Amino acid sequence: MAVKVVTDSASDIPAELAGELGISVVPCTVFFGAEAFKDGVEITKEEFFHRLTTGNVMPTTTQPSVGDFLDVYKPLAEAGHDIVSVHVSGKLSGTVNSARLAAQELPDATVETVDTELASMGVALAAKAAADAASAGADAAGAAEAARNAAASTEVFVVPDTLEYLKRGGRIGGAQALLGSLLSMKPILKLMDGEVHPHEKVRTKGKAVQRMREIAASGGPYREAAVMHWVSDEEANSMVEHLAQFTASAVVSGSIGASIGAHAGPGVIGFALWKGE
Amino acid sequence: MNEQTSSAYDAHDFRQLILAGAGCLEANVDAINALNVFPVPDGDTGINMLLTLRAATSAEVPDAASATVGSMSSAIARGALLGARGNSGVIFSQFMKGLAGGLAECERADGAAFATALQAAADAGYQAVGNPVEGTMLSVMRAAAEAVYPSSRPAEAPDVLRAAYEAAERALAYTPEQLPVLKQAGVVDAGGQGVVAFLAGMVNLVSEEQIVLRITAPEGGLESAAANVSHEFLEHTEEEMYGYCTQFVVQGEGLDPDAVRERVMAMAASTVVVGDDRVVRVHAHAEDPGPLLSMGAALGALDQINIQNMDLQHQEFMSLHGYGEEPAGEAEPAAVAVIPVAPGDGIARVFRSLGAAATVSGGQTMNPSAADIIAVVQRTNAAFTIVLPNNKNIVLAAEQAAELADAPIAVVPSRNVAQGMAAMLAFNPDLGGDENAETMRSALDSVRSGEVTTAVRSTTIDGVDVLEGQAIAILDGALAAAAATPGAALAAMLESAGPEEGALVTLFYGAGLSEEAAQEAADAISGRFTGIEVEVHEGGQPHYHYLVSIE
Repeated sequence: MAVKVVTDSASDIPAELAGELGISVVPCTVFFGAEAFKDGVEITKEEFFHRLTTGNVMPTTTQPSVGDFLDVYKPLAEAGHDIVSVHVSGKLSGTVNSARLAAQELPDATVETVDTELASMGVALAAKAAADAASAGADAAGAAEAARNAAASTEVFVVPDTLEYLKRGGRIGGAQALLGSLLSMKPILKLMDGEVHPHEKVRTKGKAVQRMREIAASGGPYREAAVMHWVSDEEANSMVEHLAQFTASAVVSGSIGASIGAHAGPGVIGFALWKGE
Repeated sequence: MNEQTSSAYDAHDFRQLILAGAGCLEANVDAINALNVFPVPDGDTGINMLLTLRAATSAEVPDAASATVGSMSSAIARGALLGARGNSGVIFSQFMKGLAGGLAECERADGAAFATALQAAADAGYQAVGNPVEGTMLSVMRAAAEAVYPSSRPAEAPDVLRAAYEAAERALAYTPEQLPVLKQAGVVDAGGQGVVAFLAGMVNLVSEEQIVLRITAPEGGLESAAANVSHEFLEHTEEEMYGYCTQFVVQGEGLDPDAVRERVMAMAASTVVVGDDRVVRVHAHAEDPGPLLSMGAALGALDQINIQNMDLQHQEFMSLHGYGEEPAGEAEPAAVAVIPVAPGDGIARVFRSLGAAATVSGGQTMNPSAADIIAVVQRTNAAFTIVLPNNKNIVLAAEQAAELADAPIAVVPSRNVAQGMAAMLAFNPDLGGDENAETMRSALDSVRSGEVTTAVRSTTIDGVDVLEGQAIAILDGALAAAAATPGAALAAMLESAGPEEGALVTLFYGAGLSEEAAQEAADAISGRFTGIEVEVHEGGQPHYHYLVSIE
């Protein structure tokens, strides 16, 4: 009997890392019109962005259903595992609610749910913290606590190429104020209290990336750092190398999946920084 | 002035002296405006000093019976401080404040009192600016003060004033030796000339021997400067916002501008009457423009008649700037409000879209006064206000407003619209006032700024040969290019700026250009420089074809 970690596809956790840590990923569902796809299962990241940029139908996303969670929880519980379920901010998605409802369906199992109040790689780092704690011998409550502590010390910054997708998806939060601007912008957004807030208003991509590098440099050192993006490998690698200066851990890097991609749009780059030695 | 007391003036006499100084400044206002260094339409030093003095002399004065020179000068100085416009106006208002300080204890003012007060006035002028520059009005003020520095030998007041004037005139003539830009442009300092005119007016009131000022404007400068006293400026910033703004020129022979001014002042408000015996230009606000025109027609041939209904304009202006939409108690005043000075409606809209609480109308050739700025600050009613002057000639007036206002105001000294936009972007409503002011200040230099206008005279500046009427481009305050069209000047300026790959060029096109013309210029730039982005917005500013931000 062991503690198993579950997360959702809005964590953007790279498949290899999830496999390595034994983390199960519950997929969100992405719709292009009437066509539905399970994120990362029925549609790859590449296919998704191809359709996003070339198709004329805007995608929408829905949280995993209770049934989706039960599909993952049940086999784990039946194998005698305790479960720590680490998720995207409840203010951005109903995912963590589905997880809680699914847990109630399994009164005999131990399921700890964690609302990280983060998104994308911020969730992935919290899930990794839970998995690391579990493999170091923590019980479910201890692993959940590790995830919560990691989430509380983690900051997520992102630069979307356009605010259009956030606006259409209604996930714009405090960054709403940016929409009134007559000037075009490449704002740096930050997740705060589970919502998207404008952190800095910058007008060019070059300046935004430069400021992102400065933000990373000024907040270190980091226990873990991760880059999520839908840009060229060159741009992403440059950011990974930059972050590597401020952390002793290997920098996690990966492209953004459909759940986040539908809201952030193509051309997005961001990072999650877990403060600490 | 009463003969028996000719050398010790009472409060009423003192006010007459200031009025006489203002009158002489007014008579020379066009010539002073024309003394600008760059061949750009910013010739407004004369009008700024005049309007500052107007505010001084129209301030509420103490009761005639009990007034002392001290209380009178203090009331006049207060009016000047609030009414100060432009850097020259602000420095001049500080000069008036110093003068009042020097006269504070005086019931009457004699020669010795004036000598002491002039010293205090010059000192106050120097203190008005962070880095005093010689070869400006400051040098002229100091020369005047030093020439009459109280000596053991008592002097009569008219002699003190004349000595001060003569020293000022000599110091003025020396200003091109102190400031190379003046020499290059072939002019004396405009603000210094204003001080000289002010002193000359006072001398002429109290002495037989009349001074006739000879102001040599650069060739072609006078006409264009006269045309540049912006209608908008006069309409939007003066207090009398009613009736008809009436402007016309009378051409004839044997005209007497002083007599015309007196007659216009009896009929209308906000009068500016300038000219000579052949041409007189009239600007006035009247309930009925008819009698003004009839009076002009009786004197000579009327020309350049321009009549605008200010009541209508006022309403439009107020609604455009959001003053009309006073929300009934629902909108809480912001904790921190940003108030930029905007030289055009389009620019005001962009600032508001970035979160500015309100804007002050003003810019080149239309500098708002400290009181104008305070009025908008009071309307927004925030706990803390950050003012963006967006023009180097408005920075001091904004700082003066900050000092005079009751509410806390921080000035982030943006010298142009591009810097103002950069600062506005750095504003974060979740942070406190001081913290915001600091981050906004550090954002000022993150952009380069450009301006494209029309040369108002031929000259060579910064190594660029300029012909009157050519489009000229200024990059970060230095003349960068002259060309046949605004678009060509813009492209040449960008060439010298050498924008990096990925640079963003934002164009605010002026009131005189169409959107199509601006878009064409933008397309031409995009085609010429690879990897840059060009964004076009309506700016609505007068005089400047383009205001440009490069980042």
